[in-house]
Amino acid sequence: MRIPKPNPIWFFLSPALFLIIVFYVVPLFFSIYISFTPLQNWNLARYLDQISLENYERLFYMAMNDPDVTKVVKTTIVFVTITLIFNVLGGLILALSMFFMDESLSLPYRLIWILPRMTPIAVYSLIWYYFFLGDESGTLNSLLLRLGVIEKPLAWGNSPELLPESAWAIIILVNGLVGVSFGMVVFYSALRSLPREHVIAARVEGASAFQMTRYVLVPQLKWHIIYVTVWQLLSLITTYAHIFLLVQWGAIDKWWGSPWALYVFNTAFTTSDQGFAAAAAVILVVIGGILGILVLRLMGFKKLMQEPKGEL
Amino acid sequence: MVEVRLERVSKRFGRVVAVNNVNLQFPDGKFSALLGPSGSGKSTILYLIAGIYKPTLGKILFGDRDVTELPPKDRNVGLVFQNYALYPHMTVYDNIAFPLRLKKIDENAINDKVNNVSKLLRIQDLLERYPHQLSGGQQQRVALARALVKEPEVLLLDEPLSNLDALLRLTIRAEIKRLQQKLEITAIHVTHDQAEAMSMADYIAVIDRGSVQQVGSPWEVYNKPRNLFVATFMGSPPSNVLPGRIVRENGIWIDVGGSMVKPPERMVELLRESELDDVIVAFRPEHASIVKEPEEGYISIPAEVFVTEPLGRESIVTAMVGGSSVKVLMPPEAEFKPGESVYIQIQPDKLMLFDPITELNIEVARPGKS
Ligand SMILES: Nc1ncnc2c1ncn2[C@@H]1O[C@H](COP(=O)(O)OP(=O)(O)OP(=O)(O)O)[C@@H](O)[C@H]1O
Ligand SMILES: [Mg+2]
Repeated sequence: MRIPKPNPIWFFLSPALFLIIVFYVVPLFFSIYISFTPLQNWNLARYLDQISLENYERLFYMAMNDPDVTKVVKTTIVFVTITLIFNVLGGLILALSMFFMDESLSLPYRLIWILPRMTPIAVYSLIWYYFFLGDESGTLNSLLLRLGVIEKPLAWGNSPELLPESAWAIIILVNGLVGVSFGMVVFYSALRSLPREHVIAARVEGASAFQMTRYVLVPQLKWHIIYVTVWQLLSLITTYAHIFLLVQWGAIDKWWGSPWALYVFNTAFTTSDQGFAAAAAVILVVIGGILGILVLRLMGFKKLMQEPKGEL
Repeated sequence: MVEVRLERVSKRFGRVVAVNNVNLQFPDGKFSALLGPSGSGKSTILYLIAGIYKPTLGKILFGDRDVTELPPKDRNVGLVFQNYALYPHMTVYDNIAFPLRLKKIDENAINDKVNNVSKLLRIQDLLERYPHQLSGGQQQRVALARALVKEPEVLLLDEPLSNLDALLRLTIRAEIKRLQQKLEITAIHVTHDQAEAMSMADYIAVIDRGSVQQVGSPWEVYNKPRNLFVATFMGSPPSNVLPGRIVRENGIWIDVGGSMVKPPERMVELLRESELDDVIVAFRPEHASIVKEPEEGYISIPAEVFVTEPLGRESIVTAMVGGSSVKVLMPPEAEFKPGESVYIQIQPDKLMLFDPITELNIEVARPGKS
């Protein structure tokens, strides 16, 4: 009798699989499960057998009627959409400008744009906190006061007559400047790996820098653009670290400055309503998944996948 | 269409001098080759002509027009690369139409032109395909079509055949030559393959380390190399080179590996005037033969057979003279044993002598006329 040999695939996969199951799959299903329970104060023994849709109904009702949650929904949509466009388009523009730039210039340029990502979150947020600070000592205020554009300091993230746009502008700017370097690095390295002859040929054929970008360079970045878009979309939907600090320090309005992810975090850890927070998180994951698939579809991911470079 | 001229052109990249004070003339409607080893500056010269690079010094003229400061798009040149450089996201049709679309020409006119040039290159059936669906030879034809569709005055070819297999290379070689003659376009072909240059070009410019070594017809460059570099770069196998010492007793003799050789009559006067002590003796493998006994009327040097390589149509016999090896082309039936003592017999009219210091051919490059 032959003893069946274990498939070596499992040997290689098991460590990663173990980690994924313990730290990702189990918590995910656990979250989904508690989103159907009225769990309070992490009292697992008491609430775990009361299954209902109540959290989702409450969430839906609040999103429609609670003025604060409505603000969060609007903020999320605006924040994710505009920051995404800013990140992808900005990254593309930065990469292209560096591509046409002299090598000696492009290196410091790249460094400057990567700086926000390399700076610790707290330090980076603090810089912006002081920049938008509401009294005369705020960088922006003191600058504008000196230039005579404004007469008295403005509370950029809080003042009711500037909301909601000002709070949105701040969180978009703060996150956008961190996110833009990702697209920049991906696009720039992709551009650099295109054959040099493509650029030379296009120039000899009479293409302006714009035409070359439009017809030769960007079409060849299609895959990278899709990748960066989906990646950034998913990370924007779930991001909250910088915003959390700015809200915490009072630099921006609590509701007009909170995207959904921060709302989930605050509900889960500053209130006792964990079942409800889990429901909010599950909604976020579902929406993220749907949007991600939608973007892939819209941008023709399928067509890309159907053209393998070689057969296996 | 137009003559291309480089006047005292230099190009530096930082500290690297890629092109050094080059004067070149590419005649109107002729096929010229830029021949040289890797890194000699051939591509740089081509890109200077295309306008991709600006010369550090010097002028570039198309006919009477000074184009030195003109951007590539105003020079009306077509450029073909070794790696074809077709745009992978465009069909063959769109690739060829691209230069015309940039000029905002009417789509019908574009269609006509693309069809015409496709017929010329026999790629009509490939227009709907993408580059990755083509063979190397087909891709190169498409690249040629893209370069020719805007009816350039100058066609620049940067090693367009190097990525093709030997047989296809011969076909496309002939095709490019036929096209060039038909269109009467000024063509400049960069290659490091001397056989390719010999077979295609009306004129060859040999380049080494950024400088022009010789310009001439294939016959001149092959048979009258101006210097040692050209002599040893051209030909396969290239010219043989032996060190010689000049002995001025009872007339003029050359001591080659211990045996006294009488230089041909036409060189005696030149050698007497030159006051050289040493000289480099060179001759092509096909201009010598290996014999057991020396014959009258040839220059004979004793040698020892090292190895015989049969190549089918001929054999290459390697023999040792002093410490140097010499290759001689022999008929395939010739048989020599390694270690056999023989004579290398050179046709006196084909013998070449070079000054060991300047490396110039003492016959071609007279003093004061370098
Ligand atoms: N953009 C550049 N920057 C710096 N040095 C360069 C650049 N282009 C060429 N060079 C240098 O100039 C010299 C000539 O290069 P070029 O590409 O013209 O050689 P080539 O004759 O075309 O060689 P090959 O047959 O290998 O293509 C080389 O030493 C090369 O390293
Ligand atoms: Mg080259």
